[in-house]
Amino acid sequence: MQSKLTDTELIAQSVAGNQSAYAELIKRHQRFVFTLAMRFAKNREDAEEIAQDTFIKAYRNLANFQQQSKFSTWLYSIVYTTAMTFLRKRRMDTDSIDDENVYIQLENQQGGFDQNYAENRSRSYYLNKAIEQLLPDDAAIITLFYKGEQSLEEIAVTLGMEANTVKVKLFRARQRLKEKLERLLKHEAKELI
Amino acid sequence: MSTTEEKLWNYIDGLCSAEEQQAIARLIETDGIYRRKYEELLALNAELGDIQLDEPPMAFTYNVMEAIRAEEAAMPLKASINKNIIRGIVGFLSLVIIAVIAYAMLSINWSAGDHGAYELPSVKLPNIQAITSSPVWKGFLFFDVVLGLFLFDAYLHKRKLVKQA
Repeated sequence: MQSKLTDTELIAQSVAGNQSAYAELIKRHQRFVFTLAMRFAKNREDAEEIAQDTFIKAYRNLANFQQQSKFSTWLYSIVYTTAMTFLRKRRMDTDSIDDENVYIQLENQQGGFDQNYAENRSRSYYLNKAIEQLLPDDAAIITLFYKGEQSLEEIAVTLGMEANTVKVKLFRARQRLKEKLERLLKHEAKELI
Repeated sequence: MSTTEEKLWNYIDGLCSAEEQQAIARLIETDGIYRRKYEELLALNAELGDIQLDEPPMAFTYNVMEAIRAEEAAMPLKASINKNIIRGIVGFLSLVIIAVIAYAMLSINWSAGDHGAYELPSVKLPNIQAITSSPVWKGFLFFDVVLGLFLFDAYLHKRKLVKQA
């Protein structure tokens, strides 16, 4: 029955103390929140922790949610701040997140193809691999734009940036993604030869 | 100055003006290199739209709700006590103190002056020894000890849950 209710109605019920309404909100948004967390954490365990913290923080602050933006936009901004705090706690300060070198190292580690991945080497598989190798911000912007149904303005609110900055970052992220995808596919072609 | 690729992405995203849109559409129709680039970006755009979201663990919702419940259960006692109850207790104790002082004042023989002696009202205390040695008293103490242990166990259990959360 609750699946027919809108986010706003579920929020009102949750604030009134109906925990099953909040459970329904979690079910609705968990896949995207978890995916977004994966873009920052790069592994399932940490992503689960970030996603869980996000929903707990959102529950605590639900009564303060002004509904001036979509619930999803508000929720994704919590994912972003939670992920940043999490990474900082892990002694990876925010500067290093922008440091391409760190991820070039990561890419080199991940770039070495495992022989176990012989199956499922479709183009979408390589696309996901290429996204994994992007900087967290780039991966998050692409995910928010394509899967989060977020406009550039909404992504700007989520990431605390100007809409124009997001536009430029999205363009650069897609460029980097294209390069990484081409590199991965070339590598695969060489392996086949 | 925007590059060809940037212009094409803006065209695909619908972020350029009507004039720019017309100009780019014309270039795609007439210029082979432009068209190939456009088709390449359009294919990537479609692929990005089709990427699958990651699936969280099966018990994800349950785990979050359990963590929320544990957090609410661990809410400090201070926040859960009704302030009116505290005010009521303070009022009652104040009233008792005022009544005792008033009774003491009224019992003084003020006309006796310096030589007058204040006589304490005689209070006959019950025989405490008889009470403490009774089986009812021992039963009461035993019940208190059991209740104390039970509450201590509940407290430790709650602390464990909060740590796990």
